[in-house]
Order: sequence, then C-alpha cells, then structure tokens
Amino acid sequence: MSEMMKRYLWVFGLLGVVLVIAIPAVIFWPRSASTATDPWDGLPAHVEHTSHANIVEGPFATGQEVTQACLECHEDAADEVTHTVHWTWQSDPVEIPGHDNVVEGIGKINLINNFCIATPSNERTCMTCHTGYGWEEKPYDFEKTDNVDCLACHADTALYAKGEYGNPAEGVDLLAAAQSVRNPGRDNCGKCHFDGGGGNNVKHGDLDESLLFPSENLDVHMGRYDFLCTDCHQTEDHNISGRMLSVSVDDENQVACTDCHEADLHDDERINAHTATVACQTCHIPSIALKNPTKVTWDWSTAGQDKPEDHYTFLKIKGDFLYEKDYQPEYLWYDGGVSYRYLTGDQLAADGPTLLNPPSGSIDEAGARIFPFKVHRAEQPYDVVNNYLLPPTTSGEGGFWTTFDWPSALELGAEANGLEFSGEYGFAETWMYWPTTHMVQPKENALQCEDCHADNGLMDWEALGYPGDPIEWGGRNVQQ
Amino acid sequence: MRAMQRHFSFRLFSIALVLLLAVVAMTLGGANAAAQSGEEPAAPLTSLHPVFALRDATGANVLESGQPVSTMQTCGACHDTEFIAGHSFHADLGLADFTAPGTTSSGRAWDTSNGLFGKWDPLTYRYLTPDGDERLDLSTAEWLMLLGPRVAGGGPATTARAGEPLTALAPDAANPETSLLHADGAVTAWDWNESGVAEMDCFLCHLDQPDHAARTAALAAGDFGWASTATLAATGIVTKTADGWQWNAAAFDAGGELLPQNVRVQDPTNANCAQCHGIVHTETDTPLTFAGCDLDNPQTATTGQVISPQKISESGANIAGKSDLARAWDVHAERQLACTDCHYAVNNPAHAQEADDTRPSHLLYDPRRLDIAEYLERPDHNFARGQSAQYTVAPELKDTMRRCESCHSTESHADWLPYVDRHMSVLSCESCHIPRLYAPAVEQVDWTVLEPDGSGVVTCRGVDDPQSGVDALIEGYTPVLLMRENIDGEQRLAPYNLISSWYWVYDDADGNARPVRQVDLEAAWFDGESYAPELLALFDADDDGELSATELRLDSDAKTAAVAERLAGLGLANPRIEAEVQSYSVNHNVARGEWATRDCQSCHHDEAATPLQLAGYMPGGVVPAMVGGANIAASGTIQPGADGTLFFQPEPEQAGVYIFGRDRVSWVDWLGLATFLGVLALVTVHAGLRLYVAWRRPRHEPETQRVYMYDAYERFWHWLQTIAIILLLFTGLVIHRPDMLGMFNFRNIVWVHNMLALILLLNAALALFYHLTSGAIQQFIPRPYGFFDRAILQTKFYLYSIFKGEPHPMEKTRSQKLNPLQQVTYFGLLNVLLPLQIVTGALMWGVQQWPQVAAMAGGLPVLAPLHTLVAWLFASFIVAHVYLTTTGPTVLTDIKAMVTGWEDVEVHAYPGAQTEQA
Repeated sequence: MSEMMKRYLWVFGLLGVVLVIAIPAVIFWPRSASTATDPWDGLPAHVEHTSHANIVEGPFATGQEVTQACLECHEDAADEVTHTVHWTWQSDPVEIPGHDNVVEGIGKINLINNFCIATPSNERTCMTCHTGYGWEEKPYDFEKTDNVDCLACHADTALYAKGEYGNPAEGVDLLAAAQSVRNPGRDNCGKCHFDGGGGNNVKHGDLDESLLFPSENLDVHMGRYDFLCTDCHQTEDHNISGRMLSVSVDDENQVACTDCHEADLHDDERINAHTATVACQTCHIPSIALKNPTKVTWDWSTAGQDKPEDHYTFLKIKGDFLYEKDYQPEYLWYDGGVSYRYLTGDQLAADGPTLLNPPSGSIDEAGARIFPFKVHRAEQPYDVVNNYLLPPTTSGEGGFWTTFDWPSALELGAEANGLEFSGEYGFAETWMYWPTTHMVQPKENALQCEDCHADNGLMDWEALGYPGDPIEWGGRNVQQ
Repeated sequence: MRAMQRHFSFRLFSIALVLLLAVVAMTLGGANAAAQSGEEPAAPLTSLHPVFALRDATGANVLESGQPVSTMQTCGACHDTEFIAGHSFHADLGLADFTAPGTTSSGRAWDTSNGLFGKWDPLTYRYLTPDGDERLDLSTAEWLMLLGPRVAGGGPATTARAGEPLTALAPDAANPETSLLHADGAVTAWDWNESGVAEMDCFLCHLDQPDHAARTAALAAGDFGWASTATLAATGIVTKTADGWQWNAAAFDAGGELLPQNVRVQDPTNANCAQCHGIVHTETDTPLTFAGCDLDNPQTATTGQVISPQKISESGANIAGKSDLARAWDVHAERQLACTDCHYAVNNPAHAQEADDTRPSHLLYDPRRLDIAEYLERPDHNFARGQSAQYTVAPELKDTMRRCESCHSTESHADWLPYVDRHMSVLSCESCHIPRLYAPAVEQVDWTVLEPDGSGVVTCRGVDDPQSGVDALIEGYTPVLLMRENIDGEQRLAPYNLISSWYWVYDDADGNARPVRQVDLEAAWFDGESYAPELLALFDADDDGELSATELRLDSDAKTAAVAERLAGLGLANPRIEAEVQSYSVNHNVARGEWATRDCQSCHHDEAATPLQLAGYMPGGVVPAMVGGANIAASGTIQPGADGTLFFQPEPEQAGVYIFGRDRVSWVDWLGLATFLGVLALVTVHAGLRLYVAWRRPRHEPETQRVYMYDAYERFWHWLQTIAIILLLFTGLVIHRPDMLGMFNFRNIVWVHNMLALILLLNAALALFYHLTSGAIQQFIPRPYGFFDRAILQTKFYLYSIFKGEPHPMEKTRSQKLNPLQQVTYFGLLNVLLPLQIVTGALMWGVQQWPQVAAMAGGLPVLAPLHTLVAWLFASFIVAHVYLTTTGPTVLTDIKAMVTGWEDVEVHAYPGAQTEQA
C-alpha cells in the first residue's frame, strides 16, 4: 500500500460510515404507493414543420399538379393515403352483425345514414369531403394517386377549400395553398368533421367549430392544453387512428382515453370502482353541443313544402328538424361494436323505429360499459312495397333539391344505389347512434354522484338492466 | 267480472275527479301549491303507502266533521302512534326530565331540563317559566307559539309537566302552563280546550311537501289544534279560507279515503329534516344561496353547517375564493347519504345495531330481531345520535349512531400519515376532515342591550357584514379544536364553534336568579316606541338620535349602571350581567381526503391552534365562562385580546396532548440552551487563554511517539456514532422547532430521525458487545484507587498546567486511553444520558405501537421534554468533547488519531506501546 493510499484511506472509512446511514435510508425511504404514469408520455412529439413557402414552386393549374409536386419529395405519401379509409371510404371485408355473409366493405361509399342519407348519386356535394379530386368520373379510380388531395389536410384552411366532386373550390390560389402546407391543424380536420351533415355540428354534437378556439370548459384537452386532433388520433403512414360507430361496426384502430390515462387514476377509490362499468366519457362529457346546437331530429317528409324557412327548424330542401344545445346524451351499454348495421336494401324493422347502428353491449357483458350517445331520430323515405330505405338524389341534376319531386329523386337515387324503386314511397322512422367522446370536461365539471344516483338522476337504471339504483341495489355481477 | 267493471268505472271516475281537481286548482292559482307544480302532468306516484281516511280527534272522518285532522287517530289506525309519540325525543324535547330550576348539568340557575322544553338558550332568549315563579316569561302556550317552527308536536305540546293532558288543566293566569304573557306585561289565562293541542305531526316529516310555513303560522296564532291540518296546506287536501280550514272533498274518494295521488307519504328526506334543523340543499341544478346567520336555521346559524351535495364552487353564495372550492358542501350528501342513513330510528331493522353487551359472547350474530311489519307498526322515533356538544339533549341516545370510524377504515391514511393510530387516538376524524366551514355562524349574542326592534345584538363570524344579506362576502371560519370526552371515556380533539352570550340576570322575589324577561328589558330600554331619553343621551355619542352598532354597547361603568338602575326601577333585585360560552359541535360538512387538513405543520408548528375570537367586545366588562354539561375537557382558556375583544386560546396541552413542533417546556429549552452556551463560553475562554499564552510564550514541542491508538472498528464505530448523533440533533431540532426550520418536510425529517436512532442504537449495541468481549470496557470503568487524586491532577492540568505548556499528567496508551475526567464523563454519558435518550426516544416512537407503555411513563408530556433536555446535554457534550481533542501535542493530533488510528503521544509514554516501526 503506497503512502499516498494510506494517507487517504480515511476517505474510504468515511464513505463506509456514510453508506451505513445512506443505504438503509434509500432502501426504506417511505414511498407513496402510487405509480401513476405520466399521461404526457402518450403524446406524440410536436415537430416544427418545415416551411414550404420557398420550396414549392408553381404554377399549378389543377389539384393533381399540386399532388405531383408533393410526390416529388414525399414519394410514398399518396400511396399511403390510398390505403386509408379517408380515401377508400370503405372498410376491409367485414362481418356485419345481423347479417349472415361477410360483406365486401362498408363505409360512406355504400352506407345509409339518416341525415343526407347516402353518397351515391350525390357525389357533387358529398365528395367535397373526400380526400381526393375528381369523383365525377364513375367508377372512381381508387388507384390514381394523382387524385389524392394533399391540401385538404395540409394547407392553411384560409387559403384552400374544396368544391364540387372534391376538386379545389373555384378561385383557390393553388400555389399559395401549396406553399402553406404544414402538419394538419384542428381546422383541417374540422373542415369536414365539424360540418358533416351539411352544417356546423349537425352530425356529431361533440365536434364543431367552437373547437377551433376552445376554452378549457369546452374541451379540456384542446382548450386547456391546446391539443391537436392528431395528438389523440395518432397517425402512422397517413393512417389516422379513430373509429366511428356511424360507419364502422367494431372498434379496431380506436382511440381510447386509456391510451394516455390510467383507468384507476382517480384519488377516490369509489370513482375508480366505476371505471369497469362506466366509460370515462360518461362522467367527463356531461353534455355536448355546448356552444353550437346539434341536430337531434330530422323529418324529411315535410321537405318540399312551402313554409317559412328557418335554419334551425325548417328548410324546404330538407324538411323539419330540431336542434338542441347543451344536449344531454343518452346512456347505453357499449362494447365498441354494433349489434346490427342497416345495409342498403335491408328490410325495415317490423315494429318501432329502424335502428341503423344500435351499439352492442349489455349489462351481462363484462367488456361493455355505460357510454353516452347522441341519438339522431329521423323520418326518411322508404319504399313502401319493398320495405327498405330509399336514398334520394338530392343535389345536382334531377335531385330533390332542384325538383322537389320525390318520385324522380328517389328513382335516381335507387338506381345509383342498386335498388329497385316500386314507385310507392313513404317515410320511416330511423334512429342513429353517435358515440360522444369529445368536449371532455376537467374533473371539476364531471358528473357528480347525485347526477346519476339521486332521485330522477340521468340513468334509467331499469332500462340499463339494473333492478334499481346500484348505490342501493348493488352493481352488476359479471366476470371481468 | 262485474267487480272488475266496477273497479274500472271507479278508476275512470277517479281520473275524472283528478282532472277536475287539476282544472280547479289551476284556476284557483296560488291558493294551492299543487297548481304551482301543475305545469307537469300528474306526478308519478312515489308512495307505496296505502290510501287512508283523515280522522279527527274523535275518530270521525274529517270530511264529515270538518274538524282538524288528528295524526294520532289517522296514522294510529295502523301504526301505534301512542308508542311512537312516547318513544321520540323529537316529541318529548325534555319534558320527561323536566325538573326544578338549577338542577341540570348546564349549571345555569334557572334551567329546568336538558331539551328545548326547559333548557334556556341565550340565542332565543325567552325563558320557559317554571311553576311558582314570581314573573311569567314564557308560558307553555307561548313557548309553543314562539318555538313552534322547531317543535314536532306531542310531548309538551300535548302533555302537562305533571303528565296529565294539557286539556285537563283549567285556565288559570297564575299557572305558567295555562296562561299567556302579553306585550304590555299583562297575563291572561289560556284555555287549552279552546286552542287545542299540537299532536305529534307525522305529516311534517313524512310528506313530500309539508307546509311548514302554514303550520308555523297556525302555531304562532295559537291555533294549536289546527297545526297538523295546516301542514297539509300545500297538498290540495285542505284549503284555508276566511272562515278557517276547509277540507276539499275532491281530494278524497267516494269512501272518504284520500285519492292515491294525494297520499304522498314517504320516508323522511333531508328536506323534511331541514325544516327545523338547518340549511339543506338538494337541488344541485339551482345554485344555493343563503343569508347568513339566520336563526330559523339553527344548525347552520350555530355552526355554519350546510348539507348539500352541491359543490361550494357551484353555489350562489358570495364566498371568498369560491372558484377553488370544487368540492361538495358535504361529502356524505354528495355520496347520496340521507340524514336518516345515520340518524335512523333505533329499532329500524335495516340499520339497528346490536349492542355487544347484550349478546352472549358465544354468539356472533343474533338473528332474532324485529321484522319489517313489526317495525312499521311500532317504529321507535328516537333517532340514533352521536355524542356531540349538544350533549345533554336526549342523553339516553348518546352514541347510538354509527360514527365515522364505524363505517370508515383509517388504513387509507397509511400511505402518507405516519403514526396513524397515534393520530387517531388524539384526533377525531372531524378535526382534519372538517377543515373549514363556509357559511357564517353566530359568534356573539348580546342581550344586555336591545336593538330598536327589541331584539338582542347578534354578531356572526365568517362573514364581513352580516347585515348586508346575500351579497355579504363570506369568508367562512376554521372551527376550534376542543377535547371531546366520549362515552367510553376516550378523549379526542374535535371541531367546535363557540358562541358567547351576555345577558342581564336578576334575583326574583324568592331569591332565585333568572334572566331578565324580554318584556322587562323592553320596559327598561324603551319609553313607548323609542329608546328612553336618558339612555339615548348616555349612549348616543354622536348625538344623531340613533344608536349605531358601536354606540349600542355597555362599554362603560356609567352605561352599565344606568341600565341596571332602570331595571332596578322595574322591581328587579340585584340586576347584573352574566356571560357564558356555549360550544356547538361540528360534525357535518365533511370533506374527503384531498380537501382535508393534511399539512403536518397545520398542527406541528409553533403557531398551530390559532385562537378563535369569542367576541368583538365585552358588555359590562364581564368575562364569560363555559357553560356546563358539554362533553368537553379543559383544553383552552378564555383570554381578553386587544381592543376589548375576547378570544378562546386552545391549549390541548391542558388535556395532556403534546404536539411535537408546537408544544415545549420552556424551562427545559432555556436550561439546555444555557448549558450549551455555558460550555461554549467556557471553551472559548479556555481556548483564548491558551492562544494568549502560546503567543506570549511559545510552547516547546514535546517529544512524541507514534502509537497505534484506535483500531479500525473503534474508528468506524466512533464516526458512525458522530454522524448519527449530529444528524439526530439536527433533525430533532427540526421536529422541535419546525417554525424555525420550515424548509424541511416535517414528515420526512421524523422518518430520518427514527432511522438514525435505530442506527445509533444498533451501533451502540455492537460497540458494547465489542467492548465487552475485547475487555476494552475496563477503560471506561473508573478505578477507585487514587481516582480522586488523578482526577484532581487532571483538573489542575486543564486549569493551570496547560497554560504553562506542561505535559499531560496522564499517560495515554492503547489500553488506557481515558483520563479520570473522561472516565467519569463517559460513565455518565453512556450509563445515564444515552440509555435515557434511547428509552425516551423509543417510548415516543412507541406511542404508535404500544401507547400504554408510553402512557405508564407519563406519556409524551413527560417523555418529550426529557428527550429534549438530554439532547441539549449531548449537544453541550459535543462542544466540550471536540474542544478537548485540541489539547493534545498539537491541535489536530487527537482528531488525526481518530481518523488514522495513529496518535502522536507524548513520550513519557508507556514502554510497551505499539509503535509505527513495530
């Protein structure tokens, strides 16, 4: 042992003494049991987008030319888009509950809803929201990547808009639009998803233009933390996650609160005990259509009448309808799928309204939870003889909005949808279910015990399958 | 078949009647509350109760007799109403234990019972006059008129004090049970047969829309017999007309029974209880608003408790910092508990508890109990109650209720609260879980003066201006913690509001002390409608002809004397001011964990237990005393504050509670600090002298020799103990004075302190083992032979020789390291101080594990100061110890030796010493 070593040997001694104290301190230090993960870990990193102002050079005469310019650098982008439902408007072959055979695919391209009813034969207006150009050609060529509309999602919405058949709106400066491209903002998604059904918040109720500049009491994610749609609807190869019961029958590729949050994150054990039975949305979205009303009923049978028009109650082209603000959702068991989906040509329900997409799930199903829905109730045209719904042609030549003549509009629509029209039509009641999942409220605004468990609370316990309020009668008994 | 048809046509007829009634009701408009809710279609039937006929006191159908409904007859057709009225403190209100004045536990000379009937309350002031008193204040009849809103009927409203029916008493102005005092002082007889009596009013608590206001009006008017009928005023069954109450035949079926939709009988809801007790707000869609301190809501006015599931932040009250209070007023209301879930009928089979002491020990459960039918016939209307400060009320029911700990486990605290059991043994759950009340409560009641309307002056706490109504800024208040004595003898700190009262007392003709009657006060203060001129002149400092809030006070002897003189002028002997403090227990408005008090320094801090203001001024300078009969132990003092205010200073130490960081024994600290500073001063002077001497006469370096003095284990043991002790002293100081060292987390510091103590203990035990087995222990044992001589020699060395540069008188060798003074010091240190510190520390740590052991040693109030004192002595020892290491051949020699093991010892040394060369 060198002299030097000896001289500093005491340091090791001191170290030993300190370790004797420090090691038990570190090992036995009282820790809180909580091991909560940080929800921020679930968010994608926001990368500064490179400005394309000096990269893109025009001039561009058509949207397709813009796409070609994009593809010079982003070679795979258009090909990626063509493999997404934003482009195909239809799913992979799928089994539809309530039907025997596997169908080729469902989506906006072939499903009937109870708003403007169906896209075939209405391409001029409906395809304004397709991520491609030029749907006037029929059949549409889904392989033609030049038709992919990059600008719809990536251009500044102040500089770009889509028009008939999905083509750029007249008067758009395509060069300016192309130079403005960036990561999609809420405005890009909102262009179609806020205004679906023909106006602000008509369809969803929980997605509307108020989310462009939301307060934290409108939506805690977008309002308090300035989330973008793509923070939750995370996207890989242009495939945007998210699933909607109106056009899907399962919850594949779905976005969930638990992607970032733990289900048992509440301080309160009593609330955590709810999460196996109650979806997050149920408490954290007490009501929707907070700023702008949403359409809750639509009676097509009065369309064409000459009555005084009002945007929120009656339009000659559409008939009577009701809008509701601060809409109180209806609560149903929901396991992410549907128990049935009305397909074009299906017979109407034998009695009562025809449920186009009733959510599946029941009190006896462990995976089902109580979930809030907007239910849209409509009277829409059907073939009295064949007993199925008829999609009318609305806009365009011979469309109902021009002629106000049901038989001819229905004949055109039936033909485009491959249906026989007997010539006799009536109006049938249909219900459509819209899961409520945006406009999430901070905990201060979430539902409280008494909202459901007091007399006259929000839940119809017996309809949900309970003998009475589970606070007194006990919860469901299913194997988790 | 025919029966069915008849049934069907009967139903048609009923429906037609209902429709007709609805139309009539709507046309009549406001006359009928059914019309007010008449916009809705017929409400769904909520009651399972069968239909029944309303009967008068003779048992006849009221439709035929037109007489007031008798609940005893009506409900008594199926339920045992006699049993119910006889088993209900809500009916009895103290009648059963009505006694001679001055013999109750309150200590007041004039109280006659423990309940509303006979226990005087300075908030309502009027005194229920016992038989034989000189002056009549409240007769039984006027008591019922005045306190009717809080009287459920039955008991003293039907029965005389001696037990006979009130209707059996002959009208007699001389009898306080059958008379009435008028505003002018005249007394007239009261005829109970004419007024009727107020039977126990089943409707008040069992209807979904009882008309409390109409009932109160009937009682106030002396129409006692019609009170239960008035309760039905909102149902449409009966209507008040100019001629009196008219039964509506349309509300009944052809058989004279109520139509099903008019049978709105139900279990009592929170709203039913709220009518008499305090603010309850269940309509969470409507923001709650209230005007503070309204004595019509006694529970809220006396404590600030509001029962509502609504979030405080959502309420309409103007509460400071409201937006941050996103929690319900009451977590139990939020969680859908009703009043009756805790305060249930004591024989309700759904809730009833089986007393452990009535069950044979071999049985875990006794299945023989009331079935529901038996219960419904004879439901005991004594309701389970806790053991709060309104202690004297229904004493036989004390502790019949499930308390917090009967339903809740304390285990949930374990992940953050150290010493859970200890905390639970000192604190009631409410102490932390009712951190603050957000409605105003009464602070002071002054009946020594009268407002122009003839009432006393009421001051509220928790609100900036109680006079300004709903727009006043409510700050709320933090209740004061008093030591509550539970039935089982256990004591827990629990939150209370304290209400102070000042009032005039006189001696009546029989020499009995009585509160001065309000009618006499008015006669003394007023001439006609306005203040007596001589009093106005005396009190009206700014001569504006009115008495402002600050002027209307007895703040000088002259004013007190002037009022006393006017009272004496009314024939009141020896008028004098008395004052008292009543404690009101706070048990509702519980907040869940995240809102509860959970900051250690709320209690473990020098300034914890902040005083509660009792009064803004002291009328007549009289200092109040606590009213007796409350189950609170002495745990504070009433102290005058600045500007004539009065405070209650909580002093939990009075009740034997020692709170680390708050409590300390000052002489211990002063003595310890003096010792520490004394030693410090001594060594400083000594060191100064040594430096001076060294400077004047450089000391010749003694010849030294390297000796291996301390082996590795000794050094390890020494330094581990050094670090542990220094850190223990420091962490102990943080625990002792967290106010001075607030940057440290109290909870973690306590944990570190305990862990270090364990290390010190293990180290000491291992060192003892080492010294015993190696025989080195002998070094620490003073040898009697020549000990004193050597000790004197060593002392002389430190006092004189050291300055002369003389060598140490003792040889320091490996086997004899300690000089006699060290031996005696370590002997004391290791045999007295260290064991004492370990034992007191372990016992204090053990208050969680084995509290009874600590209690046997005197508990924390003994252990903690002792521990502190020894800690000071250890600190002082360290100063001397470190200084004395500098007295070796060089200043650092001894410290180096303890680091390296090798010491340079002076060479008259021990021949056999192991040298470095060896």
